Amino acid sequence: MELYKYVLALFLIYSISSCNNDTKEWSYVKTIDLGSTTPIGLTALEGHLWVSDGDNNQLVHLDSEGKVLFKEEGFERPMHIASDGKSIYVPEYGKDQITIFNGKERSQLNLVDSLDAPAGIHIEDGQIAIADFYNHRILFKNQNEWISFGKEGKADGEFYYPTDVHIANNKIYVADAYNNRIQVFDTEGNHKMTIGKEEKINAATGIYVSSSQVFITDFENDRVLVYDLEGKLVQEITEELEKPTDILLENESLYIANYKGKNLMVFKMIHE
Amino acid sequence: MKNLLIIIISTFTFTISSNSLYSQSDRDQIEVQVDGLGCPFCAYGLEKKFKEFKGIKDVKIEMETGIFNFTYPSEKEMTLEKVESQVDKAGYTAVTTKITRGDGTVEESKQNITELSDKSEIVSKDIFVAGNCGMCQARIEKTANSIVGVVKAEWDKDNKMLTLEYDKAQTSIGEISESIAKAGHDTKYSKAEEDVYNDLPGCCQYERVQ
Repeated sequence: MELYKYVLALFLIYSISSCNNDTKEWSYVKTIDLGSTTPIGLTALEGHLWVSDGDNNQLVHLDSEGKVLFKEEGFERPMHIASDGKSIYVPEYGKDQITIFNGKERSQLNLVDSLDAPAGIHIEDGQIAIADFYNHRILFKNQNEWISFGKEGKADGEFYYPTDVHIANNKIYVADAYNNRIQVFDTEGNHKMTIGKEEKINAATGIYVSSSQVFITDFENDRVLVYDLEGKLVQEITEELEKPTDILLENESLYIANYKGKNLMVFKMIHE
Repeated sequence: MKNLLIIIISTFTFTISSNSLYSQSDRDQIEVQVDGLGCPFCAYGLEKKFKEFKGIKDVKIEMETGIFNFTYPSEKEMTLEKVESQVDKAGYTAVTTKITRGDGTVEESKQNITELSDKSEIVSKDIFVAGNCGMCQARIEKTANSIVGVVKAEWDKDNKMLTLEYDKAQTSIGEISESIAKAGHDTKYSKAEEDVYNDLPGCCQYERVQ
């Protein structure tokens, strides 16, 4: 009897340790062909996908299966878009403004400061972050107050053409595109961490952060790098990628926008 | 009848003259080929830089070929030098530039300025030149082709080798190598100055040759 308990205990210990060592990886599921659309940014609103098409100056609205519902034209180089649950926020790179589109009408995000080629925006719990490309800085609104941080350079806290931004886990994550890295800041703009220095990224153009992972598109190397929140590389996704520009995690599916491929690649997490 | 014929001929002649006048445009057509426009942020940035020229219209960028087209009022007298300078300010290299004036005349930049003579001796050589991307390729090739004596210069961004044909009587590998290093690219024989390397666009900042 004692031996039985001993064996059972060993078995339980083995099972628990095996679970902890299970490798979870993102695995390719399917491709959503976008026709002539050249995707730059991705966001979701009410279960549907929205894609910004920079070359054709439009937003494309897709259903959850990827079927085009309609196209909204007349933007000036729409870049990495975001949603606040009601409207789509569109950084118009050519117009130096953030346009808010609610499906019918457009308005402009009021800013005291002026933008120079805004390339990315993210909204989370009333906070707003904007990647201001030619000004090499981030604008951040924490409830009521706007702050600006960063300047052109390569040091910690400096940027060289930031193209995207994501607010998550009470931090601001920046795709510091042409410094080829991700920088992480607190909500006061203090530099906390740099990710991706070892991976020889070539143009870190699009970023998405979940509760446990950081995703970055490595545009020129045709791959997406996946890190844990401590900055450790956990996966390198290369299947079917052609100049990826953005990532979105929605309803347990990982969408990657392929600018050159003119499609969205869909991945799901599997246990190996 | 005779009067009617005169009227018809006069009207016809007047119409032809009027059409000839209206066929001249008051806008010049500018076409620039710029390498390394595969990145949309790069291409949109170039477009934005050119919008500093007030009056620019009909902007079109072909990402695959790097061809950038626009029209501009003829009276403002755009020049090849101004176009190339604006491309340079945007951080790129104009490979070829062409202006078709409103009156139909064409001006084009010259890619290669070498003239051969009886004393010319053409030599072929491949040398290593560090770089990353299409923008590097445009910069390296344009620099090499602008050297008197170079007949051909083609850089492969995958194996980083520059294939050269040059006239030994007019230039040398050392001179070519130094010019390329001055443009920011390390070669087998010459190293770029640190500040010149640091001024390269981010995507061009290759791993330095030790």
